[in-house]
Amino acid sequence: MKSPIISLATNLPLVLTVALFAAFTVTLDNFASTQNTYAILQSFALLGLITLGLSMTMLVGEFDLSVGSMVAVAGLITLKVGGDDLVTGAIAAMAFALLVGMVNALIFVWLRLSSLVVTVGTMIALSGFAYWLAGGKIVNTDNFDAGALWDDSIFGIFSARSLLTILAFGLMAGVLKFTRLGRDMVATGSRAHAAQACGVPIGRIHLFAFVLSSLCAGLAGVLLSISLATASATMGSNLLLQAVSAAIIGGIALAGGIGKPSGVLFGVLILTILNNGMSLLGAGSAAILLTNGVLLLIVVVLDGKTGAMLQIFRSKSLVRQG
Amino acid sequence: MRQARETSHLASSTPSRTKTMTSAVGDFVRDSVQADRIQVNGIKVVSILLIIWGHLSVDNFLTPANLNAIMYSVSAIGIAAVGMAFITLSGNLFMLSMAATAALSTIVFASTLHFGLPVALLSVSVLGIAIGSIQGVVVGTARVNPIIATIAVASIVMGVGSYVSGGMTVAGKGDASWLGIGKFASLVPNQLVIFLAFSLAANYWVERTRFGRELRLIGLNPVTAAYSGIRVPRTLVIAFVIAGFSAALAGGLFASQAGQGNLKLAAGLDFDAIAAVLVAGISIRGGQGKIIDAVYGAIFLALIGNLLLVHGLSFEIQLMVKGAVVVLAVILAALIARGRVH
Repeated sequence: MKSPIISLATNLPLVLTVALFAAFTVTLDNFASTQNTYAILQSFALLGLITLGLSMTMLVGEFDLSVGSMVAVAGLITLKVGGDDLVTGAIAAMAFALLVGMVNALIFVWLRLSSLVVTVGTMIALSGFAYWLAGGKIVNTDNFDAGALWDDSIFGIFSARSLLTILAFGLMAGVLKFTRLGRDMVATGSRAHAAQACGVPIGRIHLFAFVLSSLCAGLAGVLLSISLATASATMGSNLLLQAVSAAIIGGIALAGGIGKPSGVLFGVLILTILNNGMSLLGAGSAAILLTNGVLLLIVVVLDGKTGAMLQIFRSKSLVRQG
Repeated sequence: MRQARETSHLASSTPSRTKTMTSAVGDFVRDSVQADRIQVNGIKVVSILLIIWGHLSVDNFLTPANLNAIMYSVSAIGIAAVGMAFITLSGNLFMLSMAATAALSTIVFASTLHFGLPVALLSVSVLGIAIGSIQGVVVGTARVNPIIATIAVASIVMGVGSYVSGGMTVAGKGDASWLGIGKFASLVPNQLVIFLAFSLAANYWVERTRFGRELRLIGLNPVTAAYSGIRVPRTLVIAFVIAGFSAALAGGLFASQAGQGNLKLAAGLDFDAIAAVLVAGISIRGGQGKIIDAVYGAIFLALIGNLLLVHGLSFEIQLMVKGAVVVLAVILAALIARGRVH
């Protein structure tokens, strides 16, 4: 039997999402309209993919700061390499994302450096690469059909892009719940040395997590550039910030080993609903940036504390101890 | 293990006075190639080689005009690198809000310049100290991950900056030429004098005072430091205040040079400061390295940047070469550290 407090605490992201959506629906006339829900889900599609990947590296106890720059690089590669042939471009971009994820993981595993340090390096290298690719310009494509294909509304509020993101969340939830890989990830994030002693191949788990986060960010960048039919070196900025906030709000602990994709999904929704509602209320990008920063600061300060509190609540119901 | 290393480091920096000349030279050589000094000493040697190569390969490399250009390019970045070194030394990796702090302070500098240069400098100092102390409290007392906390603060600061400036350039109505283009004894830029004075003072403070030893011990092992009665939160707040102040001062230097405030003026400062700290071999594990090393790192990177520039290479190529140099330095440092552990 779960006490009401526990179910409230574990379902906090869901409760907050509903509350926030209700609050904006009451205050804003057009908030709950089909078009605006579609717009929210479009932002969700972008941020959701990035956050899903990032949250999986956080789950194994590491961090990937390079996701924001990866979005820009992937978008630029798609249009630069592909031109009008976006499939070739997308394949090239995803291959590059795979490479970046492997480089992150290999440097991390071989040199035993903090993943924050490794990925701060790749973050900077990738943004330099993005500026070099863009050459100070905004890259365009004349192929608008692909964007239309991905963005045409389905049942009014969905698009192929947002459905793909939701599918990715479902897949990841399945992997974590039903496969050995998923359990190994949680074990690695909970206590890497203990997991290794128990025979978990933590090197391969780290490789998987870094590659996954790089691929998710790459895919988000590819889809964004296809959808906008343009790409620039700055299009990934602020996404890292939002992704970290969304992951922590969604219940992923910075220390690793705690959290699940369903929570992250609602974490992303909370952030996209908040930003959408604020801009409908007339807040400028400066105010939204500021709010996101304050929000991240609050959740990161609370991160350790709520994690510890939840731990006391459910220490008996989870495999993870202390 | 870590403490033992630290003791040997402290001992080696204060050689006995009774040593003979030859053994002093021997000590000097031995100290120079010691695992925790070899990287920065390598940087010094390579910097000298770069200057010689520059002189031989480029006609006007050692002219006053080009030397001035190098001095201007190193000053603001060097100040920020010194501030970053405090954070790295304290075991808190990096401060990713330096570019944002410097950007906001270019706006503040330009908008307060009509009260005079001292007031403008005072305003940016107060701004930097305030932003730094917020992060110091968050990281030092709430023990929040420093990278995430400083990213959050960076976006708050940028949000405030674009709200205040409306994304526009703020023209400075006043005279900042003393700082912007002024020269000490009509030889070296005042900016360089400020940079060197700040660095030497900071280095002395960390190497020779109680605060410095506390900072180093916290960087080496925060738990031991706390149990030894070290005032951990207080020391970390001071480190973040210094870093915030140095970022703001760097912003002031940028603004005085450009004669205006703009959020884009300080772009890339985080990277440049981190790069200087990393190539100089200040350990990202904390506690190892000297503040002055960051100065050598900044000078080394400025020399590379200048050489690439005078050889006519594009900005993007410069960025990628610098990135490659930093990656090599990090891998080298990790390999040296690994060799030391085994």
